[in-house]
Amino acid sequence: MKRWPFIVVATCLSLGVLGLSVSDAKPPVAQKKVEKAPVDPKAEAAFREAAKKLASGTDLDKVLALENKERGVKLDPMPVIDDLTFLRRIFCDLVSRIPSTDEIAAFEADKNPAKRADLVDRLIADERFIDRWTVFYSDMFRLRAQADGGRAAIAWMHEAITDAMPHDEICRRLITTNGKAGAAPEVAFVLGDNADPMILAGVTSQVFMGVRIQCAQCHDHPFDVWTQENFYGFAAYFGKTQRIENQFTRTIYAKENEASTVLWPPEGKAKPSERKPAKPTFPFDMTSADEKPEYLVRLTTLRAKQKAEKDALLAKANSKDADVDALLTGAEENEAKAKGKKQDDDVTRGAKTDAKNLNIKAGLYTTSDWRNELANLVTSPRNRWFAKNMVNRVWADLVGRGIVDPIDDFSDNNPASHPKMLDYLADEFVANGYDLRSLVRLIVNSQVYQRGHIYGAEEQQVTEMEKSFLATPMRRMLSETLYDSIITAGHIFDVKHTPGKNMKTTWKLSQVAKPNSGRQGLALTAMKFQQKLEMNAAMAAKDDDEEAAPGVDLEKGIEIDFGKVLAKAKADGQKVEVEEMRVMSKEEIEAERMRAQMQTQRRGVDYIDRYVKATFDDNPKFGSSLRMSSPAAPEHFLRVFGQTDREVLGETRDHAPNMRQALMMLNGSLTHEAARVGEFEPMYALLVEQKNLDGAVKLAYREILTREPSADEIKEAKSIIATHKDVLDGMADFRWILLNCNEFRFLP
Amino acid sequence: MGCLDYRTNRRAVLQASLASILGFSMRDLIAFGGTDHVPTAEHVIFFWNGGGMSHIDTWDPKPGRPTGGEFDPIDTSVEGVKISQIFPEIAKVMHHCALVRSIAGVNGDHGRGTYQLQTSYQASANLIHPGFGSVVTHEKKQVGDLPSYVTISGRAPKASYLGQKCEAYFIGAPGEKDPYLSFPEGIASARGNQRLEVLEKFNGRFAEKSSNKELKSTQTSIDEALTLMRSPALAAFELDKVPTSQLNRYGDTPFGRGCLTAKQLVETGVRFVQVNRGGFDTHMNNFPAMEAHGEIMDPAIASLIADLAESGMLKKTLIVMLSEFGRTPKINKDAGRDHWANVFTCFMAGGGIKGGTVIGSSDEDGYEPKDNPVKVSNLHATFCHALGIDPDKKVMTPLQRPFKLVEDGTPIKELFA
Repeated sequence: MKRWPFIVVATCLSLGVLGLSVSDAKPPVAQKKVEKAPVDPKAEAAFREAAKKLASGTDLDKVLALENKERGVKLDPMPVIDDLTFLRRIFCDLVSRIPSTDEIAAFEADKNPAKRADLVDRLIADERFIDRWTVFYSDMFRLRAQADGGRAAIAWMHEAITDAMPHDEICRRLITTNGKAGAAPEVAFVLGDNADPMILAGVTSQVFMGVRIQCAQCHDHPFDVWTQENFYGFAAYFGKTQRIENQFTRTIYAKENEASTVLWPPEGKAKPSERKPAKPTFPFDMTSADEKPEYLVRLTTLRAKQKAEKDALLAKANSKDADVDALLTGAEENEAKAKGKKQDDDVTRGAKTDAKNLNIKAGLYTTSDWRNELANLVTSPRNRWFAKNMVNRVWADLVGRGIVDPIDDFSDNNPASHPKMLDYLADEFVANGYDLRSLVRLIVNSQVYQRGHIYGAEEQQVTEMEKSFLATPMRRMLSETLYDSIITAGHIFDVKHTPGKNMKTTWKLSQVAKPNSGRQGLALTAMKFQQKLEMNAAMAAKDDDEEAAPGVDLEKGIEIDFGKVLAKAKADGQKVEVEEMRVMSKEEIEAERMRAQMQTQRRGVDYIDRYVKATFDDNPKFGSSLRMSSPAAPEHFLRVFGQTDREVLGETRDHAPNMRQALMMLNGSLTHEAARVGEFEPMYALLVEQKNLDGAVKLAYREILTREPSADEIKEAKSIIATHKDVLDGMADFRWILLNCNEFRFLP
Repeated sequence: MGCLDYRTNRRAVLQASLASILGFSMRDLIAFGGTDHVPTAEHVIFFWNGGGMSHIDTWDPKPGRPTGGEFDPIDTSVEGVKISQIFPEIAKVMHHCALVRSIAGVNGDHGRGTYQLQTSYQASANLIHPGFGSVVTHEKKQVGDLPSYVTISGRAPKASYLGQKCEAYFIGAPGEKDPYLSFPEGIASARGNQRLEVLEKFNGRFAEKSSNKELKSTQTSIDEALTLMRSPALAAFELDKVPTSQLNRYGDTPFGRGCLTAKQLVETGVRFVQVNRGGFDTHMNNFPAMEAHGEIMDPAIASLIADLAESGMLKKTLIVMLSEFGRTPKINKDAGRDHWANVFTCFMAGGGIKGGTVIGSSDEDGYEPKDNPVKVSNLHATFCHALGIDPDKKVMTPLQRPFKLVEDGTPIKELFA
């Protein structure tokens, strides 16, 4: 163990340098250079100057206004939304739930004219901001908890956002990392597509640069500039990368081979002997190295400053001769304390620690020179596709429509509606060090984000207004936001009824092992399987020797250290599942039951279904969907409301209504429990103790729809409640209606 | 129906409306246009045996050969056709059934094999092809209130570019009521209905303000949900009225209950029922495992075929049983069999096929097709043929790439009378 501190220091230093340096990669010589209309820097500067002179709004608003003027848009923008509408929208977008009544009151009481920007800052600093944008990134990179090392990858993503890792660094690591699934979390990106160079070429282009190049795999792109040779040259960067699965230890990892598997010309188009390894070639055009655009100057300055700060910190740490490992741990704990975060609640913590330890060891796997070069090119500030892709994705998520739309189809046939605004956003993103939070802040503080929807107009006008970003499109909440908002509105993050007051007895179908099933063969299968497992465990234990010299047998050496941690990761994983079970309602229990059934089939043990009597306190509480293992099971609430399985490239969340959604909202336990009135809620006191029905209706509107009801609406609500003998039942039904209505699930 | 995107000219519509007076639905007629015969099947029950079921130990025995294994072949109700001893009851209804013993598969991997056998297409990185159940749902009109496509005890493949309406409706445990099809516990139906009325009013008022299409279709989705919730046809999902003797005939197992549910569903009009079952990946101790599988499958499938035959439903219900591949003829050191895609068998029954037919054969040890090798897509084209679906009909993906419903398949016409 004595070697450790040194390794940790060395790695921190190198990571620090990596994270802060500007990789000013030179544009490559492309086989077929894709020519783009060059941006005239003078014209652009003049445009920005002219924009700044406009009357109102942020710089972003001014850029948009001038560009709309140049586009000949004559329509007037929708006004900026009022405070409560803004409050609901910004909470859903930044922290993935509606505001509570306390948060509403606090915002109303705040007399500071800059209170919207202040709130944005507070929400961006909130723990839930990290969770919510982990979902965004996991969707984007198709991270699947069920995939090999997927859970660790999501945990790593969460940590990267916590640490404000710059976007270019995040992408660099995903592209370059080799190593073992789970142990080197970033490797999930390459392993998720089986390290197949052809698939990874399409994925890299579409996910990091918004360009659909994969059609060129089989033929020159039918409607675009990409040739098949472009595609093969691009795929060649992954040509030496291989996914390995060790059948015995069941470990999966990515590593580099000597020879490339990507051969040009394609199979069938030349004799096998004529097919030669394709030369890695970057087909995307880049800003010329002769130019030194303003954003690049700003980025270089920023990174130099960040590096100096980090160096000073490290120097300080070294001067005390401190154990850096301990120092880091201490710092993390202090930070957590400062943030008031309950460490034990953090389900990803164990995996994160493991990831941190193992990340270092992952370096023992050969790194990929080709993929390092690719990452330099992809993430280079001179690669405009890279920055534009990210700002467009975040923009589309927050504003409801991409500047390039669909977001993953940057092409001459699908030009940006506002190229100058896109350039402006990309410049700011790069100049601010590829910082997600700065980008989000830039967008949501603008008037364009805060504009209202357009009502009562012809469809054509609505489209024109939305396309010019003069009105915001209606957006349904993300499935996670809807789930967490129901919990918030219904006060069911915690129990809300007096314990023991709602005892219920049910009959539950449960699986019991069949006695004397007499299937020797099956039993034998199970036994052999068990033996094999134990043998593996024994092997791992024997090899787990501190003195074993790592590096002699690379794979084995790594296996020793990783084995222990993986076992721990597995234990952690099981804990997480149990927690999730508790959170679950009917939908998840069903999925769980199926999983159990599949496992028993695999073990070859016979089980029979038996009804078991169970008594329970019907006083449920629910956890945040942002921390659930994702993607959820296909029938889960999150999936029914649009979470994808993150398998297919380019599949985005479908927000169309369907029957399953209706069944889930009408009959599901989540809405039912949220609607019931519990004694611990403010609503109960209003109804039962104060008998203030007007106040209760107002409260229902505020806690569910974040607004005041009109006089007519109060009257209507009271008449609905009055049809019930019990006012609590009446309120439960009224709240159920509000939770189910479209006004709840669509952002205001 | 969102699935409908035929380009029909006015003349065809006029002809169609005339035909519909004569008892054909317009959809039937359009489907008819692409094929040259009257469809023989209206429904499909699709058994999916996950893991890769041994062909030699089930439908294609090799007695006396080193690869033959532990089971003896038995005679069936069809002269000259022998199947494994693990299916004694199915042997008695073999005159309703057919076997294609020469599927020439190409994927020895679970994922890729499953994909191809369920979609007819080879897996590709950039696109998901719809499963066969979605194809049927897309092409055949819904009958009654129940969803057209139901999958039992396991997942069905995705509908992909055929659209959300062609996704399977999932039942986890056959015979048990789907909790989402009734109001939550404690909400009486009068109360539940009352609040639904108010909800419709609220949503209607909100939708008036905006031209957003999703707002209007939310109400459609609620209406669809209510139609289903209130439908008497829901009884087809339940087994509590089935006499114990009948449950026992099917074997009182989840699979038996799945078969009974499938029977009730097709009788109620459901177009496609997929019944899933796993545990066929017998790398070790293949024989006791297959014997156990036989005990579960044999009574259920034989009773299903007999019952459907008796009620007359078998004529228009195509039963298919498939797996992603077969298993190695060579028995391995663990008394197991490994993955083997070069040849394996498809079991079929009903739906207008000629009972007792055997198409193709494997060689004497069960390694390769001996005659009449059948591509996977030809199987799918055959199912389409029975249903009157044109397998070459093209549909567009969202990126405007045209795809045939079945990847270049030709029906095996010899299967039909």
